[in-house]
Amino acid sequence: MSDGARPPALQMRGIRKTFPGVVALDAVDLTVEAGDVHMLLGENGAGKSTLMKILGGAYRKDAGEILLNGVPVEISSPRDARNLGIRIIYQELNLVPHLSAGENIFLGDLPTRRFPGAIDWSALHDRTARLLTDLGMTLDPRAPVGSLGLAQRQMVEIAKALAASAKASASQAAADDAVPVSRQVKILVMDEPTSALTSKEVTQLFALIERLTARGVSIIYITHRLDEVFRIGRHITVMRDGRHVTTTPVGSVSVPELVRLMANRDLSDHFPKQRVERGAELLRVEGLTVRGVLSDISFSLHAGEVLGISGLLGAGRTELARAVAGADPFDEGRLLVAGAEKRFHSPADAIAHGIGLLPEDRKAQGLVPGLNVARNIALPHGRRLAPFGVLSRRCEAEMAGPVSRELRVKATATQAVRQLSGGNQQKVVLGKWLAGDGRIFIFDEPTRGVDVGAKVEIYNLMNRLTAGGAGIIMISSELPELLGMSDRILVMHRGRIHAELAGAEATEERVLSAALGLAS
Amino acid sequence: MRDPRQFGTLIGLVLLSAALWILTPHFLTVSNLVNVVEQTSINAIVAVGMTFVILSGGIDLSVGSIVALAGVVLGTSLQAGHPLTVALSLALAAGTACGLGNGALISWGGLPPFIVTLGTMSIARGAALLFTEGRPVSGFAASFRTLAIGRVGFVPAPVIAMAIVYAASHFVLTRTTFGRYVYAIGGNEEATRLSGVAVRFHKTMVYGVSGLMSAMAAVLLTARLNSAQPIAGINYELDAIAATVIGGTSLMGGEGTLGGTLVGALIMGVLRNGLNLLGVSSFLQQIVIGGVIVVAVLLDTVLKRKNRT
Amino acid sequence: MKKTAALALLTAVAASASCNREAPAATGGKPTVALVLKTLNHPFFVDMRRGAQEAADRLGVNLQVQAAEREIDVEKQMQIVENMIQTGIQALVITPSGSREIVSALVKAKNAKVPIVIVDTRVDAKAAADAGVKTETFVGSDNYAGGKLAGDYLVKVTGGKAHVGILEGIPGHETGDSRLRGFRDAVKDAAGVTIVASQPANWERDQGFNVFQNMLQAHPDIDSVFACSDLMALGAVEAIRAAGKTGTIKVIGFDALDDAKKAIAAGTMEASVAQFPSEMGKAAVESAVKVIRGETLPADINVKLALVTKDDVK
Repeated sequence: MSDGARPPALQMRGIRKTFPGVVALDAVDLTVEAGDVHMLLGENGAGKSTLMKILGGAYRKDAGEILLNGVPVEISSPRDARNLGIRIIYQELNLVPHLSAGENIFLGDLPTRRFPGAIDWSALHDRTARLLTDLGMTLDPRAPVGSLGLAQRQMVEIAKALAASAKASASQAAADDAVPVSRQVKILVMDEPTSALTSKEVTQLFALIERLTARGVSIIYITHRLDEVFRIGRHITVMRDGRHVTTTPVGSVSVPELVRLMANRDLSDHFPKQRVERGAELLRVEGLTVRGVLSDISFSLHAGEVLGISGLLGAGRTELARAVAGADPFDEGRLLVAGAEKRFHSPADAIAHGIGLLPEDRKAQGLVPGLNVARNIALPHGRRLAPFGVLSRRCEAEMAGPVSRELRVKATATQAVRQLSGGNQQKVVLGKWLAGDGRIFIFDEPTRGVDVGAKVEIYNLMNRLTAGGAGIIMISSELPELLGMSDRILVMHRGRIHAELAGAEATEERVLSAALGLAS
Repeated sequence: MRDPRQFGTLIGLVLLSAALWILTPHFLTVSNLVNVVEQTSINAIVAVGMTFVILSGGIDLSVGSIVALAGVVLGTSLQAGHPLTVALSLALAAGTACGLGNGALISWGGLPPFIVTLGTMSIARGAALLFTEGRPVSGFAASFRTLAIGRVGFVPAPVIAMAIVYAASHFVLTRTTFGRYVYAIGGNEEATRLSGVAVRFHKTMVYGVSGLMSAMAAVLLTARLNSAQPIAGINYELDAIAATVIGGTSLMGGEGTLGGTLVGALIMGVLRNGLNLLGVSSFLQQIVIGGVIVVAVLLDTVLKRKNRT
Repeated sequence: MKKTAALALLTAVAASASCNREAPAATGGKPTVALVLKTLNHPFFVDMRRGAQEAADRLGVNLQVQAAEREIDVEKQMQIVENMIQTGIQALVITPSGSREIVSALVKAKNAKVPIVIVDTRVDAKAAADAGVKTETFVGSDNYAGGKLAGDYLVKVTGGKAHVGILEGIPGHETGDSRLRGFRDAVKDAAGVTIVASQPANWERDQGFNVFQNMLQAHPDIDSVFACSDLMALGAVEAIRAAGKTGTIKVIGFDALDDAKKAIAAGTMEASVAQFPSEMGKAAVESAVKVIRGETLPADINVKLALVTKDDVK
């Protein structure tokens, strides 16, 4: 920063934040230039989210200062942050499902006719349409948000963050040719925006980011996907254990270096896959059909193998997992466990046959947030722990202890799981099945929202399971992970298995083209 | 007892008692305290069932009407000359059956608990009135009244009944798989189902417990009044919900304790008793009790917010 | 956090207590009498309270008035009695919410050696005798005579020809049952008077409206109504208005409430049996004071009844 140069768009200096018993942030610095795409990296629990919550006014800092364009500012509420041109898009979307995209975007600022209270629908839809066009999004402004896919909902959330207020845009309209994107937005924070997106949607999002930075908006981008860092990032800041580790231009680091900086451990092998000799058939699926969702799915899973399942969002991957695990009924087809046909009426039936499902959404389907670690892990095993319904004082802890030690869950057995970081929560969900004697594991997005260190631990765990004679079905949207960990890959497209790829055939290009429905 | 919220309610009860001790010499006497606990016992027992239901993420509006129905079943049976054990069994069975009916409709019928129990509230009340043609049933053997006026030492029988119900229910809730599933279902029903728990069965049982507790309360109430009234128990659901919520159980389900509910019921009982002793107008009493409920829930919310940050 | 909780509770209690610093204990030699009513949201009991308070002021008695929120909540009434006994009252004056059920509470008063005066609604004699409860006196109107008064009047004004609909109180209430018996006995001998329908409306105005509206649907020939209380009668008056039959149906009520008197003056109601609740309150407190002084009382103290018609309200 030589004299006379433009001051950076954002400077956070010496930010400190403590929670009872924990120093969450310790003298953290972050400097973001105007028009920068600044990648904020670090394991879960490194302090990224806390830092962004301070920027967004959700938390108050204990010490340090924040400067916008060189001017010190005080941010003590989300409202302050908004007024200063800071917008944050959280991982959890905050939309009203029954309202239309347009209503959601302008909620709280709906254009009204002169007669007080009456919503000016044509103005609303017109404004929404112009905003969406300007952002390069193709969406029906009238569609209820609940009917949209996850990616489209995310687009709505972004549009909402960027929309100018009705009044501002009215004056803007007078000034220049009715650009509905707010000029006020200076800093946009995105917390793992691509975790639910398909690669085409990711491309769309990145194009949008380019357009925004061209207008001088600074983007702070939190992600666990290192490929994205190199695709759109300009600067990188790495955090670890509540401290600032380094800030560097993207070109000057390599992936292994980055992983080492984040984890402070040498993860020389990103995917520590260990191949195991393929054993007996554990599970066979024949002609499984759920009308309108899945048609004629057949495959088999053997002991010692990881069967990867790929496909775009909506291809039917999760539906397949749920049908096999007894969570949802299916219309036609047969399931054979160890050669014998079985019919599952509930997840309990599937569990009784050694099938464990790690669901896609751990908060909504995997965990009971108010219960502690040991009780979550022991939840599927009530009948075994307490044949007469009475739990002895220590039995849950005795069951959970070894499992959480094996998984290196960083929490005590009596901590409620809601207080845990994403990675540790995922380990608890895994622990539920490790504590049992299951041999067939269905992992739906096992590493979503999990930091690098925990990812590797999950991969190692998969190795141990297959070495012990279990078979794993792994669904993942992260291609490198799927390619790195699977023995075979089934690629789904519109409810069918479009291709089965193994060994050298399984390349990123081939999986992707199969997922898009192209001939492989 | 490590939960700070529950501790807060207990301190609230102690301070409330201290305040009453300062304000009136009649409060802190053995006979008055026994009196308060005895008066609290019926609501406290209904609130046990309500706590199970609310912990599981539901609500039961039918408890008051089930109290009336189980009461008239008991009364009619006693009047017809059946032995006490038979009459008691019939009453408890009637209450449990109503609860299980609620539970089955909610679990297998997929109906919202609010609607189902609202319907049962009306049906059970109507059945009680129809059964008795609207008239109270009375004229029981003296032995039956022991349930209300009997004492062990200076402790009245209803208080002993309450203590037993709380000890047993606390055991069920904290030390059995059923209790664990109640918390799990209230905390995250889908995750619990995917963990292989028979969610529908256990949810049905939860409402069965609530019906059983209402029937037990009906036994005590009938003994206390020496009469079974088809109009008994009106608004009991509101008192039970209030005790549960004051005791720190989250209306969203999954969090709370029976200890908290007992303290909540005692706060309401002590408050009513104290306001009577002070000679406060009955209209003002309603305002004070309503205020305490709102303040308790407000504190609960504020504490939760602080715990999260 | 705990401090906040404590503070909030403390403030609530202090606020409520400061509204009524005059705790029963601190009365300096004045005898304390508890008046436990069925409810305080009914004009009848509000009048009774007024009469009782006037008598108490005159006689130098500290009167503690308490009531349940709902008229039928005998369990709550029982709690109030138990709590009042704790404050060391010298006499208990009560209008029982349940004739039999209240006996359990009276036993506690007896055990605490608190004399009992019953007002308005009698205690079930057998239940009381079984429990060994002795009441000092009953202050009230003869409800049977009141019902008879209404029945005789109906026979007179209709010339002995009428189709009558009856609105009953809550079944099993001594008050309503007696009024009903009196009325039925009075019209029994008039050959031209038939009772076409008789349904409970639970003492309430809105239920009086609904029940009578339904009655009118089923029996369009109804030309007179006897309601066991004025609130139900006034409900019926509204139902008649809604049916466009005002003036064609004679409504006779009970209690002579202010609203009922207005309706009689306006011609929408025919008559009402007047009780004098403030007289009852007055007589009850006077009786309680006599008991405290050790005087003996007659078993029944009758408070007069009168029929209020158009001539009386002009």
